[in-house]
Amino acid sequence: MRPGLRLALLAIVAGVWVTVAVLLWRSSVVPGGLHLSGVDPHRYFNDSRLAQTASFERFERWDFVAAQLALVLVLVGYARWGGRFARESAAGRIGTGMLLGMLGLGFVWLAQVPFGLADLWWQRRHGASHVGYVEWIFGDWGQLGGSFAFICLALLIVMALAGKLGDRWWVPGAAAFVGLGLLFAFVQPYLLGKLHPLASRRPELAHAAHRIAAREGVDSVPVRVEDVSGETSAANAEAVGIGPSRRIVLWDTLLDGRFGDRQVRFVIAHEYGHQARKHIPKFIVWYALFAFPGAYLIARLTRRRGGMADPAAVPFSLLVLVVLQLAALPLQNVISRRIETEADWMALRTTHDPVADRRLMQSFTRTSLVQPDPPSWSYLLLDNHPTIMQRIALANAWEARTGR
Amino acid sequence: MAGVPARIIVTDDLRRSRLTVFFRLLLAIPHLVWLALWTVAAFLAAIGNWFATLATGRSPELLYRFLAAYVRYSTHVSAFLFLAANPFPGFTGAAGSYPIDVEIAPRAPQHRLKTLFRLVLAVPALLLAGVLRSGGFAVGQGHGRHGGGSTGFSGSLGLLAVVAVLTWFAALARGRAPQGFRNMLAWGLGYVAQVHAYVLVLTDRYPNTDPGAVGVLGAQPAHPVRLRVDDDLRRSRVTVFFRLLLFVPHYIWLLLWGIAVLLAVIGNWFVTLALGRSPRAVHAFIAAYVRYQTHAYAFLGLVGNPFPGFLGRPGSYPIDVEIDGPERQHRLKTLFRIFLVIPALLVDYSLSVVLAIAAFLGWFAALVTGRMPTGFRNVGAWALRYSAQTNAYLYLLTDRYPYSGPEAAADEDEVEETSAQLAA
Repeated sequence: MRPGLRLALLAIVAGVWVTVAVLLWRSSVVPGGLHLSGVDPHRYFNDSRLAQTASFERFERWDFVAAQLALVLVLVGYARWGGRFARESAAGRIGTGMLLGMLGLGFVWLAQVPFGLADLWWQRRHGASHVGYVEWIFGDWGQLGGSFAFICLALLIVMALAGKLGDRWWVPGAAAFVGLGLLFAFVQPYLLGKLHPLASRRPELAHAAHRIAAREGVDSVPVRVEDVSGETSAANAEAVGIGPSRRIVLWDTLLDGRFGDRQVRFVIAHEYGHQARKHIPKFIVWYALFAFPGAYLIARLTRRRGGMADPAAVPFSLLVLVVLQLAALPLQNVISRRIETEADWMALRTTHDPVADRRLMQSFTRTSLVQPDPPSWSYLLLDNHPTIMQRIALANAWEARTGR
Repeated sequence: MAGVPARIIVTDDLRRSRLTVFFRLLLAIPHLVWLALWTVAAFLAAIGNWFATLATGRSPELLYRFLAAYVRYSTHVSAFLFLAANPFPGFTGAAGSYPIDVEIAPRAPQHRLKTLFRLVLAVPALLLAGVLRSGGFAVGQGHGRHGGGSTGFSGSLGLLAVVAVLTWFAALARGRAPQGFRNMLAWGLGYVAQVHAYVLVLTDRYPNTDPGAVGVLGAQPAHPVRLRVDDDLRRSRVTVFFRLLLFVPHYIWLLLWGIAVLLAVIGNWFVTLALGRSPRAVHAFIAAYVRYQTHAYAFLGLVGNPFPGFLGRPGSYPIDVEIDGPERQHRLKTLFRIFLVIPALLVDYSLSVVLAIAAFLGWFAALVTGRMPTGFRNVGAWALRYSAQTNAYLYLLTDRYPYSGPEAAADEDEVEETSAQLAA
């Protein structure tokens, strides 16, 4: 392809990328110009609570950073020496690639075990987890097996396409991964295990949830309860699924009496906000925006090692993938925080209850030991939700705008 | 005797008296009573033998002879009970007095450290012997509808018991024990005798599962489905460590391909019934699946080292199955195949439990030494060969019934090597 034509094509692709990103970014219903900083945490939390959450999260944060460093170091080593394991394969090109991919994943898992155990020890010390150490190591083998199966599928797609198309595998490859992402988003609710209807646990909340759903225009989406209290005391909820598989899932820890009904209603409204604003399909579009350039970079960077058609390139491609994911993390967090802010705004619009919002945030800090005002670097690199103080500020801003 | 604690000697002619077969369990009662009494005495004698061997480095002559006779007698009784032999045994355990006999390693100096930790060292061998005799069990926990937990046990008959029950029917019908079953029983009894000799401190040679090491069991009859072993016993510690997880894609592929094979087998049944022969294309498709199954389970069971391919290509894996092309099949055998295969499936299941135990124990050995013990590899290969023959029979690739006996004796060098590994 001629350089001029290539440049023009690149410009068109970049233009499309930017246009889609801007459209997605501007699709939020949160008004611009809100001031979400400058709220004093001491107005809402006492010194002891602030010190406790800061101490708790400091350890978690550094444990995470150390785990990521270990991850990269292990993958650097694996990229350097992992190719030798190809001799342990009697499978063909793709099968050998699968073996190398799975072994890389195995090394990564082993490297993460000490940090995971340290995190578990810390959480148990603070009463945030009830999982035993042995249970933690051996309890998630099904999930680990699922990861091994997924990496095989991913390498099957990439290496088969690379075998046919050479370095241009990334175009259909990225499209295939977006398709897989869509499929996963659809089936995720069915993979969560046994979920219970909210009406079977809290009938009055189920009625309230139905009214909220109707107000947000998503009254066909049911609310389900997931039993997690045997493993953790942390409270959480999530919006999952696409189309007919859409669900709101509340952890049973949210219904154990530590949160008032108004607070739980606010959580439900927040999750319905995600569904009403179609955040999961939007996430997939964002994912597509990252998947194409990411796949291109992998194809480009592995070229010197024979390209993705060659199993010897697999260990290096894992390193590239992880480094790209880490590099994209701050940007993904910005997007995630914007989406969460919009869900909060939707909940405020639906419930008209900023007091419940503020109390909910105070409860989260108490039950999940979330630090209300984390350090800026941590906020930028690690936090995919607005800080507790930003969420309280949003409630204040909504109150100020509506004059309530 | 090639470095094993005991060796089985088979002079049985396969003939069985239908009358004694029919009443075998009742006829064994006096022997079982006598064996129980003798076991109490042997237990006490073994404790004395342990102290004496620890002190002097050698088993005292009197205790050695008493315990050796006990091991022989126990083997004679088991052989009678499990139908590995025909005549009613004597009560003294005299050497050479029974068609399934045991030659025990001669009285020799024993390593004191191995004697000191004998019971601990014997745990893997006892585990395997227990599975052979009594079967496996699993403990599971379930949750009731109201959140209550319940613990349950599920069990299965041991390989020897399963084969004995099947031999009982066969011997009653034909007046003969099938050679494969008899050899399988002889192998199992030989291994149990080895474990006894080791645990009772008659020798410090470690029990060896290698069918070749247990005793000369005769050559395998010609069969259209054969196993070829080109494995060098070397194992990559990394792939051994992650073996179960590395099997995940093969497990999924086995399931998916299995669905297509199921449909093909149903079609094959109708065609073979009509034409008396399996169509070549269908035969090749199913044969590839049988080969792939063998490759994948050889990888899982540590019988083979490399990660296998997904297509079941012939010659692509060190543990491979050679399957002859389509041949004429007896229509009546085809019609009733699903019923005829049941005994083979029972034996196959029991052998797969043995394979699983060998793989479990071999996992530790391979992780430490970077090599798979020959005995475990060979017993695993035997289980895989039987499984491949059973599947080929079930899937109508052949109407030859699977041969259950172990392979012919391995060469002496290999047995010596295994015994040296085990001793180390």
